Amino acid sequence: MLLSRLVNTLHVALVLAVSATAFGADNSVVLNTMADELQRNYQTLKQKADPAPYFLSYEVTEQESYSIGASLGVLNSKGGGKNRYLDVTVRVGDPKMDNFRRVRGDRVQFTSGAQVAIDDSADPLRERIWLETDRVYRAAAERLIRIRTNQQVKAADRDQSADFSSEESYIHTETPEALTFDQDRWTKTARELSKEFLKYPNLLGSDVQVSASTDNRYFVNTEGTKVQHGRGFARIMISASAKAADGMDVSDFDSFEAVESKDLPVEDAIRASIKKVGEHVEALLKAHTAEPFVGPAIFSGRASGVFFHEIFGHRIEGHRQKDEAEGQTFTGSVGTKILPDFLSVTFDPSLRKIGNVDLNGWYEYDDEGVAGKPVKAVENGVLKSFLMSRSPIEGFDHSNGHGRRQPGLEVVSRQSNLIVTSTNSVPEDKLRQMLVAEIKRQNKPYGLYFEDITGGFTTTQRSGLQAFKVIPVIVYKVYADGRPDELIRGADIVGTPLASFAKILATSDKQDVFNGYCGAESGSVPVSAVSPAILISEIEIEKKDAAQDLLPLLPSPLQAGIR
Amino acid sequence: MRPVNFVLLFAAFCGVAHAAQQDAVMDAMQAEMTRSLTLTLGQLDKPYFLSYQVDDQNTWSASATLGGLVASNTSSFRAPRVRIRVGDYKFDNSNWTGANASGPRYDLRSFPLEDTNPLVMRQYLWLATDSSFKGALQSIARKRAALRNVTVTDQLADLTPAQPFVAVHDYTPINFDEKAWAERVRTVSKVFAAYPALRSSSVDYTAIDNLHRFITNEGTQLRQQDTVGMVEIRATVQAADGMILRDLATFYTHDLNKMFSEDEMSKAARAISDQVSKLAAAPMGDEYAGPVLFEGVASAQLLAELLGRNVHISRKPLSPPGAASQSTPTDLEGRRGVRIMPEFFDVVDDPTLPMFGHEEADEEGVQDRPVTLVEKGVLKDFLRSRQPVRGYNDSNGRGRIPANFGAELPIPTNLIVKARETSTIAELKQKLLDLVQQRDLPYAIIVRKMDFPSSASRDEARKILAAAGSGRAVAAPLYVYRLYPDGHEELVRGQRFRSMSARALKDILAAGNDSVTFNYLDNGAPFALLGFGNGAAEVSVVAPSLLIDDLEMSKVDDEQPKLPLVPSPFALSQTAAAK
Repeated sequence: MLLSRLVNTLHVALVLAVSATAFGADNSVVLNTMADELQRNYQTLKQKADPAPYFLSYEVTEQESYSIGASLGVLNSKGGGKNRYLDVTVRVGDPKMDNFRRVRGDRVQFTSGAQVAIDDSADPLRERIWLETDRVYRAAAERLIRIRTNQQVKAADRDQSADFSSEESYIHTETPEALTFDQDRWTKTARELSKEFLKYPNLLGSDVQVSASTDNRYFVNTEGTKVQHGRGFARIMISASAKAADGMDVSDFDSFEAVESKDLPVEDAIRASIKKVGEHVEALLKAHTAEPFVGPAIFSGRASGVFFHEIFGHRIEGHRQKDEAEGQTFTGSVGTKILPDFLSVTFDPSLRKIGNVDLNGWYEYDDEGVAGKPVKAVENGVLKSFLMSRSPIEGFDHSNGHGRRQPGLEVVSRQSNLIVTSTNSVPEDKLRQMLVAEIKRQNKPYGLYFEDITGGFTTTQRSGLQAFKVIPVIVYKVYADGRPDELIRGADIVGTPLASFAKILATSDKQDVFNGYCGAESGSVPVSAVSPAILISEIEIEKKDAAQDLLPLLPSPLQAGIR
Repeated sequence: MRPVNFVLLFAAFCGVAHAAQQDAVMDAMQAEMTRSLTLTLGQLDKPYFLSYQVDDQNTWSASATLGGLVASNTSSFRAPRVRIRVGDYKFDNSNWTGANASGPRYDLRSFPLEDTNPLVMRQYLWLATDSSFKGALQSIARKRAALRNVTVTDQLADLTPAQPFVAVHDYTPINFDEKAWAERVRTVSKVFAAYPALRSSSVDYTAIDNLHRFITNEGTQLRQQDTVGMVEIRATVQAADGMILRDLATFYTHDLNKMFSEDEMSKAARAISDQVSKLAAAPMGDEYAGPVLFEGVASAQLLAELLGRNVHISRKPLSPPGAASQSTPTDLEGRRGVRIMPEFFDVVDDPTLPMFGHEEADEEGVQDRPVTLVEKGVLKDFLRSRQPVRGYNDSNGRGRIPANFGAELPIPTNLIVKARETSTIAELKQKLLDLVQQRDLPYAIIVRKMDFPSSASRDEARKILAAAGSGRAVAAPLYVYRLYPDGHEELVRGQRFRSMSARALKDILAAGNDSVTFNYLDNGAPFALLGFGNGAAEVSVVAPSLLIDDLEMSKVDDEQPKLPLVPSPFALSQTAAAK
C-alpha cells in the first residue's frame, strides 16, 4: 500500500509541473463563462425569485472517446466523438430543508445534462446555462412548495438531519486531459489478435475491443468553488459467447484497464487472455449444469471485490440511510461489529494504482466539487462511517467527496475504490487446504471456487427482499477427495448480506483488482474493487434462468467444407 | 490458411457473375442465402421468402449554436437486415400483431467493416437468419392458434408477388469535406448573434453516403448508391405572453459535392429570425370559419399531409381475440372512382423524375413505377407496398419506410399536383376578398407556411394531436395572415386547424398559376416531426397555391411557460449597443 501511495504522489507532482507551464488561456473560457453566468443568474434570482435560491452550481462534463473492435480478424466497429454536458443545481429554501429533501418514493430529478458547445466559445454556453437555470429553478421551486405541504401531512422522519452540508470551497485547475490513442497500432492489434478466436470452433460470437476516453469536469458553485480536473480511461475488452446443447448461453469476458492507452498491456498478455476466454467458453459448453447447493466456497480476489461492492458497498451509501423507503441494513450499526474482526474496508478515491494496475475508481473531486477523501468504512470489523455526498445524515454532517453522477442525473453518494484488507491472511494454497478441511468438516460432497464474477445486483429498497444475486461466470466444484476441480455452468449466487458476512473465515494474502462501472440511481460511474480471495463457510447457489433455444440448424460457414 | 483460399475463390467467381464492381459483401450475401433456403425444422413451415440487405452507411453531421460547435460526428457502419417469411404468399408469419416473436439471441456482434474474410460476414448472416427463421416459426404457429378463435372476414394474402428487379450499379465513395462543413455551420449559426431577442437557435447538417445492397430469393438484386445532404436551421423566440414560437428552414439535396452555399443558408437564417421575431410580436388569432388561401410552399406542405399520408390503404393485421385494433383507416380508403378534388386537378406520383423523391426501387426491392393517383379530380389508384390490401394484389414500389407487423408504409416519391384551370395570386386574393364581402366576414385567412416537417417538442406535438379530436391531425399553420376587406394584411399567431382531413380537397375553389417544389424527408411520424419516426424517405411535392373553402381554425389555449426571471445574457449587450 505504501508503495502505491508513493507512486500516486509522484504522479500528482508530475501533473502539477506540466500544468504550471502548459496551462493555456483557452480552457478557461469554459470555467470563466460558467463562473460569470453563475453570478449573473444567482444575483438576479436572489432579488426576483420567490422562493429565492440559496445555492447554485454548474458542472460541465466533457467526454471524448475513440474505440475500435474486431472479430475473427476483421474490424467490425470504429468511431468516437466528443461531447459536453451541462448539469445545473439550484437549491431553494435553506440548508435545513430544500428542494432536494428525500421524500419516500419520490425520485428527485432537476438537471437534464443538456448538450453544450464543444468549442471553447462563450456565447453558446451562456445561452444554454441561462435557459437551463431557468428551467431547473422553476422545477426546484415547485418541488419545494410540494414538500413543505408534504411535511405538514406526514409523520416526521426518523432522521432529522439537514438537506445540505456546508463544505470548504476549492479552487483548482489543471491542463485538461487530452485523448491519445494510437489508432493504427490498436487497429492492427485488435485485428490480428481477434483471429486467435478462430481456434475455438464452437464459439458463436467473439470480440476484441479497445477504447480510450477522457473525462474532464468543470465545476463552479456560489460558495466560491471553481475546479477543473480530469482523467483518462483506456480499456481492452475481450469477450466470447456460445450456446450449449441444452440452449443455455455461455460466455466469458476479460478486460484490462489503464488511465492511458499506452499503458495497456502488450500483445502477449492480450493473447493469453484470449486463450483463457476461448478455453473457458469451450469448457463451459461441455460442463455440467449447476445444482442448487449450500456449502463452503472460495471467492477469488476479483470475485470477492465484486461481492463486497454489491452486498456491502451499496448499503453504506449515505443517502440510503435517511430514505424511509430503504432497507437501512447498517443505518443503526455505527460502532458495532458487522464483519469478522480481521476485515477492514476502505474507500479511497485518491488511490490511483495498486501495484502496476491503474484503478478505475479514482478522481480528484466529486460532482459536488468536494475533494475525494479516503473513508475508513469498516475497521477491524466495526462499522465506522458511510460514503457521504453533501446530503448529511444523522451523525455525519459532512461530505467525504463521494457525491457522484453520470451527466444528466442528480448526485447521490456512490462508491470509489473499495479496498478490503485482512489481518487473517494465508497463502492461496493454504486457503485452498482450509476449504478442503471445511468441506470435510461439513460433510459436503464438494465446495465451490468462484474464479470470476461479471457483476450482480442487490435490492436495498424496503419494499423488496434485502437480498443480493451475484452472477459468476467461472465456477468450479472443488472435491475433498483430491479429484481435479470441475467447471460447472449456470449457477447464480444468492443470499442476504448480514448472514453472508458472518461466514467469512479467512482471506488470502494477495490482493486482486476488479475495475468496472457501477450503475445506480445517479447512473454509471467508474469504480474499482480490490480484495484478497476469501474463504466463506456457507454460500448458496441456485439455477440460472436460461434460454432453451435449439442450436443453429445449419453448420457454421466458418467450418471447413462449406462454400 | 483456409479462409484466404476462400477469398480468392469468391473473387474469381464474382468477376464472372457481375460485369460491375466486385463486391465481396454481395457475394457473401448470395452464398449464404442459397444455403439458408435449405433451412428446415421437422415438419414445420419452410422459408418461402428471404431477403438480405447490407448497407454501408457513412454519415457526417455537426450542429452549431451562436458560432460554437455543439456536436460533430462521423460514423461508418454496415447495417444488415434479414427478412424471412415462412409458409407461402397466401399465409405466412406476417400481418399479425404477434409477428415480432424473436428467435434466439445469438449475441450478434457488429457486421464486419472489412471485406478480407467473407466467411465472417456469412457467420453473421447465418446466425441472423437462423434466429429470424425460428422467430418466424413461432409467429406463424401463434397466428394459426389465434385463428382458431376468430372469424376473418377479409381473406387477404400476406405478400403480393413482385417482378424480380436487377439493378447493380457502381459505387463511388464520396470524399466529403467535413471540416469545411463544420466551419460552415459555425459561421451560419453566428448570424443569430445579431438577434439578441431570440431564445435559442441552431444550425445542423447531416450528409449520408449509403451503399445499399439488397437481394431476395425471388431474384431481385440491387446495388445502389444513395446520398442525402440536409441542413436544418432553427430559431425560437418567446412572446411577451410566454408563447414560444419556432421556425425552421430546411435544405435537402442528393448532391453531396454541391450542397448549399453559406450565403443561401445565412440568408435563410436571417429570414427565419426576422419572421419569427415578427410572429412573437403579432396579436393572437381567433376562432375562424371560412375560406383560406394556402400560398406558395404552404399548399405543397398541406398536400404532403392531406394526399401524401392518405393515398394508401391500411391493412388491419390479424389480432388475437379481444386485442385492440392496430390500424386507423386513411381518409381516402374506399373512395376509388370517387371525385376527391375539383375536376381540373390531376395528381401523379412519378419516381422517375430527376427530383428529390427520385427512387429506383423501394425498401422491398420493387421497382418504383409512375402512378396516376387522381385524374380529373377522381381518385384512380393508391400507393402500395407488397402488403396485400383490399382490391389489390400487386405493389407499385412504394413500400418506403418500415412499418409494423412485417409491412412497409407506402410513401409518395415525387408527388405532382397539377391544375388545368389557374389564376394569378392577385386573382386568388381578389376571390378571397369577394368571399369576405359576400359572406360578410371581417377578414379572410392566408397561410404562407405550415409547421411541416415540424420542429415541435414531444409535448407540443401531443397537444396538437389531442386538439385535433377525431381523425388525423395536420400540422399547425406557422405564418397566418388576416386579409381585411381593404386589402391590408395582418400577421397573427396561435391558431390551429380543426377537423382538417382529405375531404377538404373537395372544397378547393381555385388554384394558382404558380408551382412550388417542396422537399422533405418523411419519417412516418405525425407532421414528420424531426427526430421521430422510423426510417425516412425522400419526397418532393410540386403544387400550385390553393384557395380552399369552409375550413375551421381554433385558437390555441395551451398553458404557456412564463418568461425567464433572468434576462437573456445577450439582452445586456443589446442595451449597451443601443446606448
